Amino acid sequence: MIERLLRDATRRQRRSTAIAIGLAMVAALAGVALLALSGWFLTGAAIAGAGGMASVRAFNYLLPSAAIRGLAIARTLSRYGERLFSHRAALFALADLRPTLFARLAGTEPRRALIQSSGDMAARLGSDVDALEDSVVRKVTVPGALAGAGAGLIAASLAGWPATLALLAGLAAMRLASRMLVPRLLAQPRQDHAAALNRLKADYTSYAACSGEIAVYGLGTQVIAALDPHARALDAARGALVRGEVLIQGAQLVLAALSVAGVLALADGGAALVALAALAAAAATENWSTLSRTDMERLRVRDAIIRLESIAMLPARKSDAALPADGGSIALAIDGQSHVVPLGGRLLIAGPSGAGKSRLLGTLIGLRSDAPEGLVVDGQDVRALGLAGLRPLFAYAPQDAGLIAGTVADNLRLARPGITEPEMWAALETACLAETVRNLPEGLAQWLGDNGARLSGGQRKRLALARALLAGKPWLVLDEPSEGLDPDTERALCQRLAAWLDQTGTGLVLVSHRSGLHALARQVVRLLPVSGGHG
Amino acid sequence: MLLHQPQSSIKRPRLARQFAALWWLGDTVGAILFAGCLAAFIASWAVGGLAIQAWWLLAGIGFSGLLRACAQALAGLAGQQAATHAKSALRAHVMAALLPSGQMRGRLIGEDLRVAIDDVEAHEGLIARFQPLRMAAMLSPLIIAAAVALASWFSALILLATLIPFGAGMALAGLAGKAEADRQFLALSRLSGLFVDRVAALPVILAFGAEDRVTRQIGGAARDVAARTMQILKIAFVSSAMMEFFAALSVALVAVYCGFSLLGLLPFPAPEDLSLGEAFFALALAPEFYLGMRRLAAAYHDKQQGQAAERSVAAALDQANRPAPPATAALPDRIGELSIQGLTIRYDDGNSIGPITASWRGPGLHVVTGPTGVGKSSLLHALIGLAPVAAGQIIGGGTPAAAGELLALTGWAGQRPLLLPGTLADNLLLGNNDLAPQELARLTDASGLSALITARGEGLTIDPRGSGLSGGERRRIGLVRAIASARPLLLLDEPTADLDPETAAKVIALLQDTARSRLVIAATHDPALIACATSRMVMA
Repeated sequence: MIERLLRDATRRQRRSTAIAIGLAMVAALAGVALLALSGWFLTGAAIAGAGGMASVRAFNYLLPSAAIRGLAIARTLSRYGERLFSHRAALFALADLRPTLFARLAGTEPRRALIQSSGDMAARLGSDVDALEDSVVRKVTVPGALAGAGAGLIAASLAGWPATLALLAGLAAMRLASRMLVPRLLAQPRQDHAAALNRLKADYTSYAACSGEIAVYGLGTQVIAALDPHARALDAARGALVRGEVLIQGAQLVLAALSVAGVLALADGGAALVALAALAAAAATENWSTLSRTDMERLRVRDAIIRLESIAMLPARKSDAALPADGGSIALAIDGQSHVVPLGGRLLIAGPSGAGKSRLLGTLIGLRSDAPEGLVVDGQDVRALGLAGLRPLFAYAPQDAGLIAGTVADNLRLARPGITEPEMWAALETACLAETVRNLPEGLAQWLGDNGARLSGGQRKRLALARALLAGKPWLVLDEPSEGLDPDTERALCQRLAAWLDQTGTGLVLVSHRSGLHALARQVVRLLPVSGGHG
Repeated sequence: MLLHQPQSSIKRPRLARQFAALWWLGDTVGAILFAGCLAAFIASWAVGGLAIQAWWLLAGIGFSGLLRACAQALAGLAGQQAATHAKSALRAHVMAALLPSGQMRGRLIGEDLRVAIDDVEAHEGLIARFQPLRMAAMLSPLIIAAAVALASWFSALILLATLIPFGAGMALAGLAGKAEADRQFLALSRLSGLFVDRVAALPVILAFGAEDRVTRQIGGAARDVAARTMQILKIAFVSSAMMEFFAALSVALVAVYCGFSLLGLLPFPAPEDLSLGEAFFALALAPEFYLGMRRLAAAYHDKQQGQAAERSVAAALDQANRPAPPATAALPDRIGELSIQGLTIRYDDGNSIGPITASWRGPGLHVVTGPTGVGKSSLLHALIGLAPVAAGQIIGGGTPAAAGELLALTGWAGQRPLLLPGTLADNLLLGNNDLAPQELARLTDASGLSALITARGEGLTIDPRGSGLSGGERRRIGLVRAIASARPLLLLDEPTADLDPETAAKVIALLQDTARSRLVIAATHDPALIACATSRMVMA
């Protein structure tokens, strides 16, 4: 599937790809011809020079010497063009593939998609796509190497068919060696490397959570010693990979030299043609050995392709529920007790951390389906309504704020299409963030995140709240909106939010540890802690 | 001691790097052998006298391949060895700095993980490949020129002369490329992260039904990135084209000069008398003249990645080294009174806690309460200099305590205790190896951990993730470790969470007992523990 998507994307770049392949072939031909012709010219000149004035005059030196200069320029220009066009093809093909992959991910059942959206997985996905880009750039190496080999064989044929066969055998042996050695020497260390890296990261994460004890008891040395076996395994795997790579490349070098020796041993004819054949064979085999690098890269890309395949194959989400709900009421069944919240109602969900409050909210709005509580909206089970049925009803501000890298306005615009600036300011005002945004150097157009302004945790949450206010849905779903706020701001936020809810008649589902916002609620349900450890 | 490790082991990698560079020069020697054998073969073929020596020459050509293969392999291995040494020293150094200071810097564990592991790994290409190749790239053209000079000094001169326009051209192209890259930097760094960012923000995008708009935005941004990257590449590839051009040109110039010299048709007085063998040798070596620099250019990506990682590691170390806990001369075995005045904690992301004023009298059991997220853990960290204190002061025994001064006086039990591979007893004694066995037995009994030992045996081994241990068991390991440390100040974060009422009662009794001789401050929600406390401070 991913191969097909990639093929479709590269097909749209076929002009650039064709030009890149053509130029790669020209560059390889020119490279082989430059050396071959130089060798022939030099030897011919030496023989003519030794033959006296008459033979010098008979020797056509103008054409070859002009051709040598021409080939030098042709090789340079075609190599430059090849690089440019192969990158253009790859960059634009992958520019098409990225939104396609994103659409697949966003179009499947949320519980499948959201596995991929944790920071680590998202970063891995990004680097997998980058690896694919490299593999598209390398596509032109095969036709280039083939053209170089062809030129080498033609040149060798001028020194007789035994020399040609010697070169052919050499080229074949080089391919065979690479194809055999690459999986044998690199596949296992590659796996070991990934495994060691995962173990090292997992253990480091466990230890890093205990920085207090490490500092107090001075345990840094011991922790590093405990991580050492994984670090050693990682280094050993890298070492094995490098050993494999140098062996594979070494085999190519030895076989290339033997090929040249073979051509010379079996060559037949004048010295000039023998020189031509030998130098052409040297240039062609050098070119040919780049294929071995491509083999190694292919092994690396294979893992990326397998992972991307699992995304490309994600099934599309079930289409929308039969009857779209209008958000009239929410009913929760918790431990056999039923709580009904009418439209415009305000519900506080309380309970200690780990009791599953965020899970309950996620299930209510259709992002997940694993809450054990019964959840019914408008008389229909939320799991039947699904994301498509539920999201028209709920405007969600998650606990981690869920901001995107972009400007303040970009973040607010995510709520729905067609939001105007006055609406944005009004929402920011309600969320007690207008002052902050006004003080940013570029206001609504201020970039947030890397290379931009850094908002505090509390400010990020209030921006997420303002975004939820702008969505214009019948229910507001807030997960810890006031964490990290000072008491004054929290009071102001509570007042403004209450006024906004009164004015718009919007319902509220709130999770908050802090008592500051509890005044908003008209109903409270308490989740009990999930029974934890046994002792 | 850890801080000295990189310095002491820096010599070995540097030596190994020089070995790597030396082996790359061995590859140049292989190239010279190849050219020599080939030239001798062609020359003797031209005079028609192919004798037994031809087989020696062919064997020489084959051997030159083996020589180059070995030299390149040894260069790769020596470089890798250098990188491995440097990486493991750096890894230990970075981890030693980052592990104890996590809370101080207020960074996510994931960010530290990237620095301590991924960024350290990214040094490999720079050390293993780029640096040896740079040394080799400076020497190999000179070696090739010297070898060519043995056959034809004028050809060597031609090769060296091409270096002048080459250097000038490379400098110009490099400057232009850098200017263009700088011009596009901000837009590219923002746009190219968009895909990963939007995948990470998928929950809200789905919740607001914005996926179609975001998909279009990703497509637009990706095409914009492609177009801008092409702008940079157009100029960046000029550098490599320049290298290609001069490599091709040096072959062409040597070929034409030698050819005309052999024909006797040079337009200027012949500077030297060339034979075919000499001329051919010069020609066959000409492509090698720029090879070192082309290899170096191919390793440019390694250099960029490595240097970016160096900057990121340096920034993290800089942040981690900010607080230097001063060594306390004599450790008191009691803390009479600990108080804080107007203590304000402010993290780099702007989140702040406080100002808080409080006082705790030792010995005694004191609790700090308040809703989750209000900053109880941060307060405990701040008391021992592990959270960034922006204002206010900590006063121990009547005198202001500098950041981290109380570190060595403190026994600590956090939300998740550290578990090192080893036996249970090893783990309990991490804070104090000299504890008498009877005392340890008393503590395991009093905390109810002896049931675990009875059930699973004395030699029960522990792994870092605490597999097979319940949350309550893990918590009590941290608690017993803190008490066993015999330090006068105990800071405990939710010591009775995850415990059933019976075990919690045991633990509370143990804490009461301990508080008879020490100052115990616990952050807690547990009403039973709060009821036993000498004082209660509520954070809001």
